[in-house]
Amino acid sequence: MATLVETKELAETVIASVIAGVGITTVFSIAIWGGARFADLNRGGRPLAAGAAAVLGGLALLATLAAVVVGILVMTSK
Amino acid sequence: MSSDVILVIVVGTALAFDFTNGFHDTANVVATSISTGAARPQVAIGIASLLNFVGAFISISVAATVANDVVDAAVITPTIVFAGLIGAIAWNLVTWWFGLPSSSSHALIGGVVGSAVAAAGLDAVFAEGLVGKVLVPAVVAPLVAFIVAGVSIGIVYRVVGRQRPGPVTRGFRYGQVVSGGLLALAHGTNDAQKTMGVITLALIANGTLSANADPPLWVIVSAATAIALGTYFGGWRIIRTTGSRIIKMDAAQGFSAQGAGAAVILASTHFGFPLSTTHVINGGVMGAGAGKRVSAVRWGVAGNIIFAWLLTLPAAAAIGGAVYGLTRIFGTGALGPVLVTLMALALIAAAFAKRSQQGSPVPAS
Repeated sequence: MATLVETKELAETVIASVIAGVGITTVFSIAIWGGARFADLNRGGRPLAAGAAAVLGGLALLATLAAVVVGILVMTSK
Repeated sequence: MSSDVILVIVVGTALAFDFTNGFHDTANVVATSISTGAARPQVAIGIASLLNFVGAFISISVAATVANDVVDAAVITPTIVFAGLIGAIAWNLVTWWFGLPSSSSHALIGGVVGSAVAAAGLDAVFAEGLVGKVLVPAVVAPLVAFIVAGVSIGIVYRVVGRQRPGPVTRGFRYGQVVSGGLLALAHGTNDAQKTMGVITLALIANGTLSANADPPLWVIVSAATAIALGTYFGGWRIIRTTGSRIIKMDAAQGFSAQGAGAAVILASTHFGFPLSTTHVINGGVMGAGAGKRVSAVRWGVAGNIIFAWLLTLPAAAAIGGAVYGLTRIFGTGALGPVLVTLMALALIAAAFAKRSQQGSPVPAS
């Protein structure tokens, strides 16, 4: 069975899927959290905290987009 | 001359299969976006068609697996490929009729394996390729998508659970435009390649290409076009099953399911595993539902889908084998494939006519 199943490639597929799938969803939800907190804090008259939430959200959004681009590049490289 | 006629029929049948693949699998790509309101149906389907077309040009790893690693190209004839394709199309239509999101990929591989076994015995099948590249990933991939989507939605609710639902829902709807696009791209890379692989296999069997050859450009372009057109004309019956009958989804769940599906499919395509995009996205949808609440998943519907999954390979193989036997009744020339094609076209026309009389179960907008 070990020779039938390409264990290494399958394991790499599983690991890459878990990291990419969970990772992208996590950073994107942080981006949404940042956006939502920015709006709430700004309305509540706390511009400094609002700015921090916006920066965190923006960075998370950039990380999400970067992850998508890297994912496509990795796939097209083979 | 006769072999060229058969080859033309095989290529035409393969492209017809590719069309049904796109038609059948549209739901995998767009159902979650439509059901959460992230995109209007026609917009979602238009984008999915375009990205399916683009995705088909990205990689040929899966096509190489289908052409070289599952059956022995040395004993394959164009008639065997033809019978396998008819088996796959027949199974796709049966599951479309019942609104079940079964796997076009496994139908294709099952059909070709069945007709190859009927023609040349068990030696025609590479057990290593079938088990290692098809069967094991077939079990592992939906489970991984289930777990990834389940874990993801748990994290999402922890991160944004205390925020106002309005901005969160809007944010995830925007996110679904990207994750749905990525899923469509992934679908094009994995699924269009299966047809490219089968046409390449037929070209090798006919002596048009040498063994282990890559798909020619015209094969890639025609397969990309056929799957994109099929996606555009996609089946509403399966969209309803995937989009609303397994779980009632919110935008965050839709994003998690699509993200998990895209990640699994893109990673698998990179390593040349011709897995079922249907299984993966439905695994993701079930995971996103179960991650919120296990009872949120309609396990009866999920059970029917899993039953169709289990049945797909053997059923398509049985039909493929039977079609090969039927074709050979008329000899080894082109007569058998021509008559079987006419019979298949008549059955397909009858099925569509019957369905159109009954009306579409889901409105188009």
